Amino acid sequence: MTQLAFDAAVNLQLAIGGVALGSIYGIVALGFVLVFKSTGVLNLAQGDFLMLGAYLSVTLLLTNDLGLYMAIPLLALFMGFLGLSVHYSVMRHLVGQPFFSIVLVTIGIGTIIRAVLLMVYGPIEKGRLRALPEGSFKIGSVQVLWANVIIIAIIALILLMFVMFFRLTRLGLHIRAVADNLEAAAAQGIRPDSVYAMTWGVSLALVGIAGLLFGNVNNVTPAASTIGLAALPAAVIGGFSSLGGAIVGGLIVGVVEILLGYHLGQSWRQPSAFMLLFIILLVKPTGLFGGKEFERV
Amino acid sequence: MSYSVDSHPVFRRVTTDYRQEIRSIGRTGSRGLAVTVVVLGILLPWAFSRDVSPPFAFPWSTWAAVLNLSLLSALGATAFNVLVGYTGQLSLAHAGFLTVGAMTTGYLGTEAGLPFLVVLVLGTVVGAVVGILVGLPALRLKGYYLLLATLGVYFISQLAWKEFLVANYGFVGMIVDRPQLPAFTSGWPLIGTDTGEGLILSNNFRWYIVLAPICILVMLFLSNLTRSREGRAFAAVRERDVSASLIGIDVARTKLLAFAVSSAVVTLSGALSSYYLSARGEDSFPFAVTLNFAIMIVVGGFSSIQGAIFGAVFFHAMPELTKWIRSEALVLRDIDYLRTHSGEIDLLIFGALVVLVLTTRPDGLAGLWAQIKGWFTKWPFST
Amino acid sequence: MAVLNMSGQTASGTGEGIKVDGLEVSYGGVVALRGISLEIGPGGFVAVLGANGAGKTTLVRTLTGLLPLHKGRVTAGGATLNGVSVVGRTSRDLVKSGLAQVPEGRKLFPRLTVEENLLCGAATRTDKSEMDANLERVFELFPRIHDRLKQQAGYLSGGEQQMVAVGRALMANPRFLICDELSLGLAPMIVSQLFELLTRVREDGVGVLVIEQNARLALQHTEDAYVIEVGRIEHSGKSLNLRNDPVVQDLYLGGGGEATAAFSEIAARPRRWRR
Repeated sequence: MTQLAFDAAVNLQLAIGGVALGSIYGIVALGFVLVFKSTGVLNLAQGDFLMLGAYLSVTLLLTNDLGLYMAIPLLALFMGFLGLSVHYSVMRHLVGQPFFSIVLVTIGIGTIIRAVLLMVYGPIEKGRLRALPEGSFKIGSVQVLWANVIIIAIIALILLMFVMFFRLTRLGLHIRAVADNLEAAAAQGIRPDSVYAMTWGVSLALVGIAGLLFGNVNNVTPAASTIGLAALPAAVIGGFSSLGGAIVGGLIVGVVEILLGYHLGQSWRQPSAFMLLFIILLVKPTGLFGGKEFERV
Repeated sequence: MSYSVDSHPVFRRVTTDYRQEIRSIGRTGSRGLAVTVVVLGILLPWAFSRDVSPPFAFPWSTWAAVLNLSLLSALGATAFNVLVGYTGQLSLAHAGFLTVGAMTTGYLGTEAGLPFLVVLVLGTVVGAVVGILVGLPALRLKGYYLLLATLGVYFISQLAWKEFLVANYGFVGMIVDRPQLPAFTSGWPLIGTDTGEGLILSNNFRWYIVLAPICILVMLFLSNLTRSREGRAFAAVRERDVSASLIGIDVARTKLLAFAVSSAVVTLSGALSSYYLSARGEDSFPFAVTLNFAIMIVVGGFSSIQGAIFGAVFFHAMPELTKWIRSEALVLRDIDYLRTHSGEIDLLIFGALVVLVLTTRPDGLAGLWAQIKGWFTKWPFST
Repeated sequence: MAVLNMSGQTASGTGEGIKVDGLEVSYGGVVALRGISLEIGPGGFVAVLGANGAGKTTLVRTLTGLLPLHKGRVTAGGATLNGVSVVGRTSRDLVKSGLAQVPEGRKLFPRLTVEENLLCGAATRTDKSEMDANLERVFELFPRIHDRLKQQAGYLSGGEQQMVAVGRALMANPRFLICDELSLGLAPMIVSQLFELLTRVREDGVGVLVIEQNARLALQHTEDAYVIEVGRIEHSGKSLNLRNDPVVQDLYLGGGGEATAAFSEIAARPRRWRR
């Protein structure tokens, strides 16, 4: 175990790395909460979709040598269509089934994805993608990696696009309406089915991009699916029903994970998200931005 | 023609009062079935272990292993079902309890050198205690919060496991010696060694002799539990715990009981499998293990003990079946890819099955079995 | 059960109108509506009255395509909109065909702004200029909405929410408007205002069907009325006539001019619900 280092510069440097990782978690958590708020489904395959995004980027970036800025839209489009098909082929048949059944179906879907990825790409690590510029620059005494800055910038841009879509477009309005009150939305003639499908599409597109960026930070391995599960506590920490909270939760998890990993050892990284989860559940179970939830008897 | 109620072919198989309803054996005319199962249950594994030559090349010894693994998994799957299916406590910490079982075996069995049966009993107790500890926060959490919290328990258990391995075993991983039964077993017929020492569980048949009774006892216990007053409390808590407390059920006690019982059984299973598999390493309990249990109860069928058993058997038998089909079937035999990627293909089949079962036939194999049984029970009125 | 011709125009003449004929609806094994027949023509103003649990909401669900959502089924008879059956059609289809709903309890989108709520009402419309025109009309009818346009709908008062709900339904450019329990939880003065506004809505040729527990106000403003009890229509006719009907007065209007009867007399009155 390394000694606890109180060097401010090092910690700040780590913190920036944590923000980059955290923003990736935040996007995954955002996709997760989006599907949950809109359809009520807890998508436990989120980690496997992250893995899918990472592996597909290997194909796009390494095998086909596309630039980063070509790969991202292509990946988003593909994952978007995948989301639509997930809804239309599977999820739509499970409307009305008990909660746990639906959770188990997502586990089944995740298993299928993992199996296919293993079959196509093999179980060996693929190493880290190096699509982002190497090198760093200094602010004061803090070393800042270019890669981290670019990740944060890309995600910020994607978030901006997402917010614009969500708040300003007609479809975004309908998605919000369905999430607010399904029956009222149906009464206005909004088709819940299409809304659900689009929600899945957007959610998976977000996760796919997160996977691509993730592959630049970590090695692309089958373990990515388990790492992706760290986004779930991020969503709860932020307040499960809050989209903005998901991002904040992700950032917190990212920073804490990196710092703990450095000060206490790498094996502390994986459980760190869940340890934070426990703390939040004890102190403020509804999360940082969540509202009160009532149960009708 | 007149029938008295007791001799009528249909009435005899249908329960007519509450006592009959809660009996564990003998419902729906299954006494004969139970006897058949028991007889087969002894003969078949004996045949497996003797490598009796069948007409075609059938790998008997592999199937003996499948049987034992199924028994071990059935314990875990049933416990999972009791906690999740019956009591509605959505928990993904299952693999974590298997880990606890492994740690108990390592610490008490290998380190402290306690005898096999003692380790099992102690392991069960430890499992119950840990289960209660995990269940305490569960009292306040619902639905997805509980799901995620138990997921966290799993990850923390992995952290503890890795520290445990590093502290005690270094890079090799945990090795467990073959367990030895107490001395009185040396004189037993069919399997005894007559050496005056206790039996060492060195082959699948001997393991079966130990596992089968343990399994049957635990299953009977769980089955009776679900039909008892506690069991009904479980179901009430699953449906609406607020309403359950209104009718006088101590919800906290019920939930903790469910956690304690479930965890105890899984930990037992984990301890047993550590002995059975002899070697456990850092990666012995990936998250996929919990998912495997989920696969078992989905395919086998929710809310029934039978479902868990069907699912466990299916889970271990299917890869063997597909391997056998692959090696015998004319076209598939020559496709090399199927052989080298068998693990992933099995995974794919399982995932697809989960999705298929849940979308088309949610009550799984057990539901199918109940339908078949129902057909026989209602005969001659079944069509 | 009498089927009336409404508002001077014969429904069958123009082909437009909502017609319910011998309708029977069940939830599982429970029959909620039995032998319901009613009619509303273009520009009509019809009230459907009844106590809690009489089956009014079931009628609304049947007409607006929300019955399957609540696991209900039409087991006999039928209902048509402009000559085409409504059974089995989706809500979206019915809204597009000109049938809009103001749901019971408002059911606004609480976290969306008033403006966004209104826009949701136009979910089935595509013509931008038509939508702008409708928006203008809604502001004209409900000036208070205009002031609150950017506020979250959940924070509005009950009366304002109801106005938004009606406005939202109007954004769908309907030919017929179904208002389910408009008066629920609102002060009588506001309910009065709402009914008067509904009269103005009729000026645009929109037929209005109000489902109400508040019989007095409903009978005051509407032209025709039906009374449902335990799933059947027990009274029907011109609202004016029903207002003066002693039985209706007794049961729904708090008694007529008679002095209050002694308890023993009331208790001795024939039971109406044992069928």
